[in-house]
Formats: sequence, structure tokens, C-alpha cells
Amino acid sequence: MSIFVNKETRVVCQGITGTQATFHVRRSIDYGTKFVSGVTPGKGGEMHLGLPVFNTVKEAKEATAANASVMYVPAPYVKNAVREAVEAELDLAVCIADSVPIKDMLEIKAILAGAKTRLIGPNTPGIITPGQARLGIFPENIHTPGHVGIISRSSTLTYEAVLETRLAGQGQSTVIGLGDDMLIGIDFVEALERFQNDDETRAIVLIGQVGGTFEEVAARYYKNCANKKPVIGFIAGNAVPFGHKMGYAGDIITNGHITAQDKKDAFADAGIIVVDKINDIHAKLAEVMG
Amino acid sequence: MNIHEYQAKKILSQYGIKIPRGGVAYTPMEAKRVAARCSLRGPWVLKAQIQSGARNQGYFLEKKAGKKGGIRLIKSRREIVRQAEQMLGSTLVTVQTGPKGKLVSRLYVEAFTKVESLFYTGLAIDRVNSALTLLVAPIGADEEITQLAVTAPDKILKIRLDLEGEVSPQQVQEAMEFLKLPPKSAKSLETFINGLHRVFIDYDATMIETNPVGVMKNGEVVALDAKISFDDNALYRHQDIQRLQDEYEESDRELQASKFKFNYSEFDGSIGCIVNGDGLALAALDLLNAKNTGMACFLNVKGGVDKDKIASGIKIIMTNPRVEGILINILGGFLRCNLIADGIIAAASEVGLNVPLVVRFEGTNKDEAREILENSHLPIILADTMQDAVDKLVTAVEESD
Repeated sequence: MSIFVNKETRVVCQGITGTQATFHVRRSIDYGTKFVSGVTPGKGGEMHLGLPVFNTVKEAKEATAANASVMYVPAPYVKNAVREAVEAELDLAVCIADSVPIKDMLEIKAILAGAKTRLIGPNTPGIITPGQARLGIFPENIHTPGHVGIISRSSTLTYEAVLETRLAGQGQSTVIGLGDDMLIGIDFVEALERFQNDDETRAIVLIGQVGGTFEEVAARYYKNCANKKPVIGFIAGNAVPFGHKMGYAGDIITNGHITAQDKKDAFADAGIIVVDKINDIHAKLAEVMG
Repeated sequence: MNIHEYQAKKILSQYGIKIPRGGVAYTPMEAKRVAARCSLRGPWVLKAQIQSGARNQGYFLEKKAGKKGGIRLIKSRREIVRQAEQMLGSTLVTVQTGPKGKLVSRLYVEAFTKVESLFYTGLAIDRVNSALTLLVAPIGADEEITQLAVTAPDKILKIRLDLEGEVSPQQVQEAMEFLKLPPKSAKSLETFINGLHRVFIDYDATMIETNPVGVMKNGEVVALDAKISFDDNALYRHQDIQRLQDEYEESDRELQASKFKFNYSEFDGSIGCIVNGDGLALAALDLLNAKNTGMACFLNVKGGVDKDKIASGIKIIMTNPRVEGILINILGGFLRCNLIADGIIAAASEVGLNVPLVVRFEGTNKDEAREILENSHLPIILADTMQDAVDKLVTAVEESD
């Protein structure tokens, strides 16, 4: 088992003919990911990387039974790309692009409300189930199949967490980057819930950071979970100095400024094992995995 | 991207929101002329135009600026010139500027507006609920909205707004009742809230704050202050807003970095940090902090794929005089480590490498990248983990002293 993607997942790539897409889709195919088609408007009928290219996601789904998409389209086109994936009723859409405007994300969240499609990202390295499927830009060579689930907001810290599992002599069931933006698709709670219900996953690593309250919401969810799997939590940004800032509205929405320590406290209160340094994860992991 | 109060007020007024009569002034004489245009007899308000909140509670670093803060009530025309002379060219420090403060190069001169009561409005994104949210709260003379948020959040009303269309009459009524405004304010408040909403949508704002809003005797509501932040990622569709950017608010290095679309921030420490993710910078900052070492600046090259751009970014760090050591921590995914290695060599050969440099590569094309650096014969220290890199750098900096 794994969460969201495995070797049966039939993947379509939106924006397949672009340079980055070409580089990463080829690597994902080499990794064993079951890519079935690509989409680039205006290039329908061509072949790329040995895959049939279609003008729309709907056509690609009808012809190749794709059920998940990874999109490498640039930020200004993300909104329409997600809409297409949702209208084609794919199970999953993974959006790699960074710099998606917030207003577009508000619209995307409205499009996703009540839809079948789950969105990972934007601004994410994607999702990888080691040895089975890579949807995104992960350095796949650092991953090995195993029993630790990893959820992270920051892409680069996701890789750090993977290296930590390796130091603990463990592999990963699935690694999911939620994305580093103000508004994202799948959040900690949804990913945590999936890992809680995944037989293959025996422990979970959560990587959070300052900004927003996603971690607090995750802590509340976990606190009330029955049959908790062990969760190790790290929060980046303890020492954040005074940066440029204007206005208070963001802090008012969260009823005050939320620090990294506030998030750690919420984690600890929920029963999550908190580490102060990211390089402390492997020791804790070795403990809980026994 | 942020803009100044006077620019924000102009945009709001174009959407029907009432603002006091005012104008911008770069010299004391200009301040006097603007004041005369706003009001014949005063009083007036002189407001330092820096992009920060809490200007009134702030203080100036220079003695010549006097003891008052960045917002001053003025009663005579002669006093305008004198106070403007004090403020212009001086450095204002607030809780939001950091200890270095910001240089005041222009003032906003306004007619003083007599009001019966004050309230706060903010429009921002509620991240957990993915919703545009209007915040309103009555504020007393000695109350600060930030304090209220912590001590009495029930005194702040949060209204979820849709992206499309107008704010509903029920929502306006809800705000009316919460603020205990007189019925004669209804029309004015409706215009006000709808104006904020439209500006937010039309200009891809990320935050609009009017703190405070005054209620005049005739019931009209008037924005006494205004702050707008815009979404940097949406500026490509708002060239009129791009033109408002005040380059004096940013350092030269910040400007250069923004040209290459890199994230760059400066702090008070001594280590320059180059990463390919903000999370990585935060974690490195925490590790440095644990060794009593601060960061001078960090540059996030994100998923950069152009070697020349990366070299330009690295040069920004290498030429920052605060930097006593450089930490390069790259976890290649999208970004290939070898590009960074090439960029380091290009930058070092152009501006010289005068401080210890520790590099840690992991991920895409890591071995190739390490080889490039090893063959360069530059005094670069390679590290295996982030902790290892921080340890090695702190030691190397101490030894080089």
C-alpha cells in the first residue's frame, strides 16, 4: 500500500512538451511510473517521450484511462490546467509551478470544493511512492521503499526528511510535499488521515514551518485520532528575525502572531514527538521504529 | 509589493471611499503649499511616508527630528515648515521597521478630520479556510488592534467574502451592528466595504488595512490611514501598480535579486546563505542560531535553471560587506546541483572569494557538482549534511578571524 499514488496509477502529464516536463517525465518513466499520455493544447496527435499527446485532459483520459495528472505548466496557466483536471474527474492533480497568484488559488479552491479531484500543491516537489511512482521533481535516487510516511510544506526540507529516514535505516511508504504557498490543495490533515489508514505506513514525519496555522489544525486532528501512529514533528523558523512586514491583518485572522514555538507546543500537546533540529529526526525515528 | 499610504488612499478614493483632503510633499515649502490647498486654517496632519505600521508610536533616530513620532498634528502654517524640516531626511524606527528604521523622503499632508469614533478594517486571506476575509473592530482611543487580537478576539468580527459580486446587504448590516454605527452611516459603510473588496480583487491585493477608519458627525466613514500589499506573483497583470514601487524602500541588493526573481532578505548577522527553498533557509537559520551565529542575508535561487542568473545571485551574496562566511545548501530536485557549482565558480572568478565557503549538495546531479568544485582548486569546503555544513562553516569563520 501507499497513499494517493502507486504502480497502478495511470498518469497524464499536463504541459508535457515543455523543457522541465520533458526532463522530469523521462526520469519518472525510467523510475517505473506508469505514464500513459500527455497534454499540450495545439499539439494533439503528436508523440512525445513515446506517449500520445492530446489537446485536452478529457481526451487524454478517454483515450488512455488516465486517473492522475502531474502538471508542469507555468503559473499563469495553472488555474485553467486545474480546472481541466477537475472537469475530467481525475482522482489526483499535482501542480509543481511556483508563483501562482493568490487570487487564482482562491478560485482554484472554489473549483475544487466538492470535486472528486484532490490537488497537491502548487509550489511542491510533488508526491513519490518509492519504487512505484514519481509525480513531480523529487531526486528519486535518495528514496527507498519502506514504512515511514513524510509530509512537508517546504520542498527542500522534504528531501532532508527523506535523508533522515535513510540515516535511521528506514525507507518511505509515500513522500508528499504539500507546497510552500499561502493557499494549497491537500493539507496536513488530509495527508495525515491517509497515512493513519495506510497499512504500509508505521510512522509519520511532519515538517512544518512558521506562517499560517496548518500545523495547529493538524495537531487538533491528531489529538483526537484513535490508534495514533507515531508522528515526529519538526517546525522550521524558530530564529526568524524581523523582516519586512506591513500591516497586521494576517496576524489578526489567527488571533495573534503565531511563532514556531506555538506550533511546537501544539504538536507536543497533541502527542507528536517534537524535534528541535531536523537532523535529530533519524534518532527519534530509530526509537519509534524499534 | 507594498505601496505608500498616499498611493493606497488614492486607489481607495477611486473606488468611492472617502479620504481626507491631502497631498504628498518632498520639501518643507511644498508641505506648506499642500497644507494651504487642503485646509485654510488647519489643523493639519503630517505623516511620514514609509512602508510600516505603528508610525505614530515610532521614534526618529536623529536628534534634529525632535521627540515626536512619525505622525504629527500641526496647528499653524509656520509649524508645518518647522516640523516638515525635522521629519524629512530623518530615519523613523517603528516596531515593524526593525532597529535600523527607514529614511523619510516624503510626507503626506492632510487636513485634520474631526471624527466621533474609530474602527479598524482589514481585508486578508484566511489560509486555513481558503477564504477572503473582512475584519472589522471598534477601537477605543488607547486600544491597539494587535492587542485586541490576542486578548479579546471576540471584539473582532470576521466576515467571509466571496470573490465575485458585491458584499451582501446582510454582511454590511452585520458590520453596522457589530460596530454600533448610527443608521445614517449605512450607505457610507456599504460603499466603503464594497470599495475595499473591489480593490482587493481588481488589483490582486494580498492585504488591505485601514487603521483607523473615522466616523464623522454626519455619519460618513472616512479612511484615516491605508495600507495595501499586492501579490508579487500577479504583478505581471498590473503594470500600473508595478510603477508605484518605491525603490528606496529596498536595498540595491534586494532590487538586483528581485530582477532575477530570487527571494532575498537581509538581517543583522554575519553568514550569507544560498539555498533553493525558503524552508531550507529557515532550518539553516535555526542551526546557526543554536551556535550563536546570525545570518546576514539569504538568497533563494528557487528552481533556477540559468547558470548566468545563478552566478549573478551568488555575486549578490559574495559582495555583501556584512558576510563573513557563506553557506550554500542545495537539495537538487528541479534544480540541478551542477548548475549551482558552475554558478559558484563563475561568480568567484569574477568577484573573488574572500571568505570561507561551505557547500553541501544533495539530490539531482550531486556527484557531478561536487566534482566540478573539487576540480576548481578554489578553497571551497564540502559538507555532507546541513548540520555538518553549519559546523564546518562556523569553525572556518572563527579560524579566519
